[in-house]
Amino acid sequence: MKKFRMITFQYFNAITNMGLDEAIMEFVRKGISQPTIRFYGWDPSAVSIGVFQGVRNEVNLDATKKAGVDVVRRLTGGGAVYHDRLGEVTYSLIAPLEMFPTNIIESYRVICDDIIFALKELGIDAVFSPINDLLVNEQKISGNAQTRRNGILLQHGTILYSVDVETMFSLLNVSDQKISDKLIKSVQKRVTSVVDQTGVSMEELKNALIQGFQRNRNIEFGTYSEQEIHRAQELVQERFNNDVWTFRL
Amino acid sequence: MKTNSITRKFGKLMRLDVTYADYIESLKITGDFFLHPEETLDQIVSELTGVTVPIQKDVLLRKTRFILDSNEAEMIGITIEDLINTLEEATQ
Repeated sequence: MKKFRMITFQYFNAITNMGLDEAIMEFVRKGISQPTIRFYGWDPSAVSIGVFQGVRNEVNLDATKKAGVDVVRRLTGGGAVYHDRLGEVTYSLIAPLEMFPTNIIESYRVICDDIIFALKELGIDAVFSPINDLLVNEQKISGNAQTRRNGILLQHGTILYSVDVETMFSLLNVSDQKISDKLIKSVQKRVTSVVDQTGVSMEELKNALIQGFQRNRNIEFGTYSEQEIHRAQELVQERFNNDVWTFRL
Repeated sequence: MKTNSITRKFGKLMRLDVTYADYIESLKITGDFFLHPEETLDQIVSELTGVTVPIQKDVLLRKTRFILDSNEAEMIGITIEDLINTLEEATQ
């Protein structure tokens, strides 16, 4: 069984987080880095938008600036996400495509099963809701997004620990259609969090996620290489901290 | 020139911002859908920009499907039919 490197939770700013994901993809493709699962937070809090989203359509840029919240465009599709510094754990799984089902939804399901296992350990019953969400009683607790390039799969996603709905929706321009589609009047009712469901600590969530991603895999704990950090910094300058990328749509 | 912005919810959201007269002068396709490989969207936009209005749906479906096939691309959350139907709606 191919070994995975697991990197435990660390905080980075938004552009570095996205730079690290892309850098690791490149090094896994070259065979220099092992397939990797990394856990991280966002410091300062940030909004990430999907690769096809219009930044001005999705983000209240005046509000993010005023709140000191970063804005970054991801490599992956999907929707805009508010990453509260204290409110979530984010993971990225980066591995050769051949290690996962070719069918995209099935590959989401396989990876999301690890999160479902982790939440179950905490007493939370979550279910996979295709395309890319995990729900608890119809409320979203985790969103996930995937890209596949040059034979490498990147899936990253968030697990909500606690939700500051008021802040979240002051920073995001939420589509009325998206809300009405689920026939839920109140945006508060669309999301839930670990804290809403159970009284466990953030550390317990992090440990449960390690257990979830560790089962069924040959894991070796590690950290970022100097090469990866250097390449991530280059990618930050070239792409993620560049308005040409952020404001391309 | 007319401009139109139209948002539709399929499996995922898609928004078209189009400027047109008797041809499509500019087109922006945004949303929370997925498309692998992502660069395929630029080719689709390029193909649809400059086409005559009213659009010929069957022709555009064939052309955009060819782009998807030749890139071995997969759309998730929207389909090519969703895109072309919405483009027709936006340019009527």
